[in-house]
Amino acid sequence: MGGKRMIVRAAHNIISPLGMTTAENYAAVKEGRSMLKRYEGLWRLPEPFTASLMDREKVEEAFAPLANGAKYTFFEKMIILSASRAIAEAKIDAASDRVLFILSTTKGNVFLLDKNETGFPKERVLLGYAAKQMTDFFHNPNTAIVVSNACISGVCAQIQAMRELESGRFDYVVTVGADVQSAFIVSGFQSFKALSVDPCRPFDANRTGLNLGDAAATIIYTRKDKVTENDWVACRGAIRNDANHISGPSRTGEGSYRALKVALGEVSPDKIAFINTHGTATLYNDEMESFAIERAGLSKVPVNGLKGYYGHTMGAAGIMETILSMQAIDDHNILATRGYETMGVTHPLVLSNQNQPTEKRAFIKLLSGFGGCNAALLFAKGGEA
Amino acid sequence: MDELIYTLKQQIIEALNLEDMTPEDIDENASLFGEGLGLDSIDALELIVLMEKNYGIKLKDPNQGKEIFKSVAVMADYIQKNRTK
Amino acid sequence: MTRHEVYITPNEVRIDGKVLNHNENGAAMLTELYRAHVGDYPKFFKMDTLSKLGFVASELLLQAEGAERFVPREDRAVVFFNRSASLQADTAYQATIQDPENFFPSPAAFVYTLPNIVTGEIAIRNKYYGETSFIVLPENDSQIMARELQNAFLDPMTTSVLGGWLDCTDENHFEAKLYLIYKS
Repeated sequence: MGGKRMIVRAAHNIISPLGMTTAENYAAVKEGRSMLKRYEGLWRLPEPFTASLMDREKVEEAFAPLANGAKYTFFEKMIILSASRAIAEAKIDAASDRVLFILSTTKGNVFLLDKNETGFPKERVLLGYAAKQMTDFFHNPNTAIVVSNACISGVCAQIQAMRELESGRFDYVVTVGADVQSAFIVSGFQSFKALSVDPCRPFDANRTGLNLGDAAATIIYTRKDKVTENDWVACRGAIRNDANHISGPSRTGEGSYRALKVALGEVSPDKIAFINTHGTATLYNDEMESFAIERAGLSKVPVNGLKGYYGHTMGAAGIMETILSMQAIDDHNILATRGYETMGVTHPLVLSNQNQPTEKRAFIKLLSGFGGCNAALLFAKGGEA
Repeated sequence: MDELIYTLKQQIIEALNLEDMTPEDIDENASLFGEGLGLDSIDALELIVLMEKNYGIKLKDPNQGKEIFKSVAVMADYIQKNRTK
Repeated sequence: MTRHEVYITPNEVRIDGKVLNHNENGAAMLTELYRAHVGDYPKFFKMDTLSKLGFVASELLLQAEGAERFVPREDRAVVFFNRSASLQADTAYQATIQDPENFFPSPAAFVYTLPNIVTGEIAIRNKYYGETSFIVLPENDSQIMARELQNAFLDPMTTSVLGGWLDCTDENHFEAKLYLIYKS
C-alpha cells in the first residue's frame, strides 16, 4: 500500500439511551449496562415488546442550544445532534463544498405515514428530504447521499465514504447513521415473529429473537498521506449478496463469507483482535454468521456482538458498533457479548460474556440484512493490519 | 367442511398472491410447503395472519404452523376445532 | 462505457432507444411485460411494484445484453437510486396497521418496506453474489448517479454494474432508467 493515501477517522459521536457521547456509551457498555426495557401498550401496540428507547425529553434538552427556528422531527434532531457533536470535535467547516454528508437509515421519518401525524409536511417521510434538513442545518451545499440497504446500511455508508474520499472530490465525509423506533417498525418485526420478549441473547443456545433500539452515531472520515500510530484507518470493505432469499439469511453464509474474504484480503487472521458481528440473536442470523466466519477461516478469532446492550439500532448499528469497537481496542479490550451464556451455533466461535484483554490493533465489522445483503469492513489502528 | 376448504383455498390464493391459480388447482391433501405449492417462510407468516384475521386463531409460536399448515385439509380441520369467529 | 439501457414509465417502454409495444399501462403493463418476456418466475406476483419494475427492467436489459444467464458470479454489482425509497410498500404496510380495530400487520407487505429488497430479488434471480446497494436522493440527479456508479468499480471484484434510476410512488407512477455499464 506504499504511498497510498489512507482513509482515517477524524471524529465520532454516539447518541443512544446509554449516553450522549462516545465516552459515556463506551463506559456504559464496558460496565455491562443496557437500557433494554419491556414496553406494554406503547404506541397503542397490542403486544408488549422489549426495546432500548431514547428518553425524548433528554434529546429535546440537548437539542435546545442548536435550535434555529426550524421545526425538526425527533429523527432529524437525533441526526443533527450527533453530526454537530462530531463536527465540533473535528473542527471542520461543515458549510464547505469539500465536505459531504452520508446518511445511513432504513426508515427515517416513517412515523409520518400514520394518518394521525399531522405536525410535519408529508414529504419529510422521503429519506432525501429528511437528510436535507441536516445539510441545510449545517449550510452544506452538497446533496447528502442516503444509503438505505436495510440492516447493513451503516457499513455500506462507511464504504461509500471511503470511495468518495478516494476519488479526491471531498476532504471530509460526515457519515451519520440513525433510526428511531415506531409502531411501524415494531409491528413489522412482530409480524415476522423476529422479536424476543426478553432482552436478546446473541449466539446463545436459548436465543429467541432480537430487540429493537433507537440510536444515532457519526463518524467523520478524511484522507491522510501519513498516519500516526493512534489514527483509526478504514482499510477495506465489501458488500455481497446471498442470492438466496429476501428475508432469510443463506444457510451457508454465502454473502457474508464472501464479504469477509474481501475485507480480510491478505491479512493474517492472527492480526485481528475480534470480529464485531451483527449478532441479532435470531436463530438464523447467528447460525449463518458462525458458518460464514468458519468458511472464511476465522473461527479462531474472538467474536462479539453488542445487540444485548442496545438492541438492533438498524441504520445506526454499523456506525455505532464500529465506534465502540475502536474505543475497545484503544482500551485494549474485547467487549463482552451481553446476554450470551451457552454456545448456540453449530460452528463454534470464540465468544465471551466477560470483557477480555487484547493487544491487537485491527478488527472486522460484520453485518447482514434483509434483501440478502451482507457487509464486512476491516479497520486497523495506525494503518494496514 | 367442503365449504370451509373452498373458502380457505380462496383466502390462501388472495393472501399469498398465487396469481393464475384457482381453488380447483389446489389439492387440499397436498403439501403446502416444499414440493406442493412451493410456499416459503414469508408465506408461512402470512398464513398466521390469515388464521387470526379470518378465524380469530392466534398462533404464538411460528413452529406450531409447521403442523397446522401441512395441507389445506389439515388447516381446515384445525380451524373448525379452534375458530373464534 | 454504457452498453445497454432500458427505460420504463407507466405508458412507455424503450430498450436501447427502441420502443417496445404493449397494451396495458401502469402496474398491469409490468405484468403484461412479465408474461410476454419472462413468464417462468411466479415469485414475480408476490413482489411490490418497485420490485416488479426493477425485475422486469433488469430482465429486458439482460436479454438485450444477450450473455449467458443464471451463471453464479460475484463481479456484477446492482446499484439503484431513487427519490421515494420503498414508499409504495410503506403505504401498503401502514394500511395494515392504521386501524386499531383492524390491526393485522402483514409480514408479506413489511418485507418490501426496504428499497434494497429489489436488489436482492435481482441477485436471487440471476445468482449475483456481488455488491447490491440502494441510494436515495432528494431528486433524480444524473451527476451524482454517474459519480456513484463509477465509485462502484472501486470494489476489487466488480467489473460491471446493473444500475440506475428506479422510482415508484404507486401502481401508476413509476420510472426506471437502468443501464448495464462495464469497467473501462
